[in-house]
Amino acid sequence: MEDMTHADRIMSTQHDSKISAKGVQVYYGDNHAIKDVDVEIDDKTVTAFIGPSGCGKSTFLRCINRMNDTIDVARVTGDIRIDGEDIYDPKVDPVQLRAKVGMVFQKPNPFPKSIYDNVAYGPKIHGLARNKADLDEIVEKSLRKAALWTEAKDRLESPGTGLSGGQQQRLCIARAIATAPEVLLMDEPCSALDPIATAQVEELIDELRQSFSVVIVTHSMQQAARVSQKTAFFHLGNLVEYDDTDKIFTNPQDPRTESYISGRIG
Amino acid sequence: MKTSLLATDARTKKRNAAEARFKAYGLSAIVAAMLALAILLTSVLTNGLSSFQQTFITLPIELLEERVDKKGNRDPAEMAKTTTIGYAPLLRGAMAAEVERQGLTTELSDKDLGDMISKEAAATVRNRVLANPDLVGQTVTFDLLAAGRIDGYFKGRVTLETAALDGNTSPEALSIAQALADAGVIETKFNWNFFIAPDASVQRPEAAGLGVAILGSLYMMLVVLFLALPIGVASSIYLEEFAPKNRITDIIEVNISNLAAVPSIVYGILGLAIFINFMEFNQSSPLVGGLVLTLMTLPTIIISTRAALKSVPPSIRDAALGVGASKMQSVFHHVLPLAAPGILTGTIIGLAQALGETAPLLLIGMVAFVREYPAAYTPEAGLFGEASTALPVQVFNWTQRSDPAFVERASGAIITLLVFLLIMNAVAIYLRRRFERRW
Repeated sequence: MEDMTHADRIMSTQHDSKISAKGVQVYYGDNHAIKDVDVEIDDKTVTAFIGPSGCGKSTFLRCINRMNDTIDVARVTGDIRIDGEDIYDPKVDPVQLRAKVGMVFQKPNPFPKSIYDNVAYGPKIHGLARNKADLDEIVEKSLRKAALWTEAKDRLESPGTGLSGGQQQRLCIARAIATAPEVLLMDEPCSALDPIATAQVEELIDELRQSFSVVIVTHSMQQAARVSQKTAFFHLGNLVEYDDTDKIFTNPQDPRTESYISGRIG
Repeated sequence: MKTSLLATDARTKKRNAAEARFKAYGLSAIVAAMLALAILLTSVLTNGLSSFQQTFITLPIELLEERVDKKGNRDPAEMAKTTTIGYAPLLRGAMAAEVERQGLTTELSDKDLGDMISKEAAATVRNRVLANPDLVGQTVTFDLLAAGRIDGYFKGRVTLETAALDGNTSPEALSIAQALADAGVIETKFNWNFFIAPDASVQRPEAAGLGVAILGSLYMMLVVLFLALPIGVASSIYLEEFAPKNRITDIIEVNISNLAAVPSIVYGILGLAIFINFMEFNQSSPLVGGLVLTLMTLPTIIISTRAALKSVPPSIRDAALGVGASKMQSVFHHVLPLAAPGILTGTIIGLAQALGETAPLLLIGMVAFVREYPAAYTPEAGLFGEASTALPVQVFNWTQRSDPAFVERASGAIITLLVFLLIMNAVAIYLRRRFERRW
């Protein structure tokens, strides 16, 4: 059964995209925040969402793991599928969805617990580890993937909040990937970090592409150009242009995209 | 014109003066507050500390069989027919004999000498004899309470001048008492009775204690803790984390805030109507008192718990939801532990408020004069249903009595109440520190 779905997944990635959104509309009360967005996001690629503040890129990102559900006034319509499954189907439990679609937030937000507990929390609540040894392994693997293992291995029991900003963000990434998600959403993960920490996280994102489909929201066009293969430009709630990153930055089709990347709007 | 940094301009001077004035106001406010506190504590302590000491007379008493056990069969049921009035002559005689043994001469009658012993003493002797009939016929040494006026003399409340005007004692009695004290027969000791004994009647302030009041307050606090804490915390969690934000929750919220401001006596009326008249619980019982105080404390706990929950950064909730925790897991694993110090502080402040509350208790009859430990203060009878009293109500009760000895008792009770409050606040601080250490 497990193999079947895995095989299906591989099949589907060969033919279809990982995430497919059609006609997505988001309303915050009376505010129409996302207007009819269609997008296909590929597996094992980094997709960047760029655009000026308030253009809806974070809002759209939060639709993909249904974090908008926690906002009372938010209403999402349209169709978002992961591997062909409608994630807004009434039968879908958002809790299960979020184990599959990890998220890293703008500000590093480790739990006020030890480094170990931060990473182990997700696997624990989802029952991914049968015993302590399993859990230790997951924690080590996740921290290694997040390039934090060498710094953290001797202080696993010290509080996660005691790390530096960049380390905290990498801890949050480790926490997100510990539940073995298929998609990793990153909401401006470097906006609170200094250039050196940013470079580390960017390098990490590039490595994560081997295992996940990564969607990253960023304010920095340089960052989008550095880390992503595909870029989507949002403006005033519309998806203006979505193409290969190279193409967006060298040969944008839409005049709005052009003026944004050349710094005239934003 | 070029200005120098070394010269302060008029505007800056004015600003600095305003700041200095403001600091002075603040400082004087603090000084005034400290002064008021100092005055309060001094007055309470000077009046009340003496209640922790009590004057005792040590007397050998011959328990004559013809007085104590008229039938001579040592049957406690038969012996119980002799009332305390029957014991009074024994005490009187023992007192007179003691005065004679010390070589003192006096014009006082045996009755006057007997009046130097508390009216409570006869009951003490009688209880001891009934508990152990073998004592009959022997001479047993008792530590007996001195009468209130004699006790007052050794505490400086009664002087030879006031005694001359007092119908209850006389300067002669006081000088005899002084002579007996010099001889070691009358002694002042620490007054354990004050914390153990139940209340006593107006004529015997020396025997009055806080035992029932402390127990009553304790039981009420238990009721409040075990009802108000879970109900308050659960409703706060629901309102703060789960409830949809709509008109109904808004109305509930406003009402909770209003309830916190309702005068406590209103809760007393409510308790009287619901718990006593409608549900027919015993009046004056710690159960009813606890229920009323629970109603009163709930808004405080709910408000402080909600504030504590609100102060947990939303990023923690996001983080938990983001790794796939359910709403409940995010609340119980992450939000609640972080809010715990605030919740505990709010709860203990609510409890402390409830401990010192008097007005609603007056309405449900806890002002009753409780002379005996309630029979139901035994595990099998159900702990909470019998008439009892409470610390603040006992203070209220004692301040209404005419004998000046009760001023001392009331102040002593206030000190006891303050000590309990201090202990509770210390526990709150300790718990907060302890939980905060978990980052």
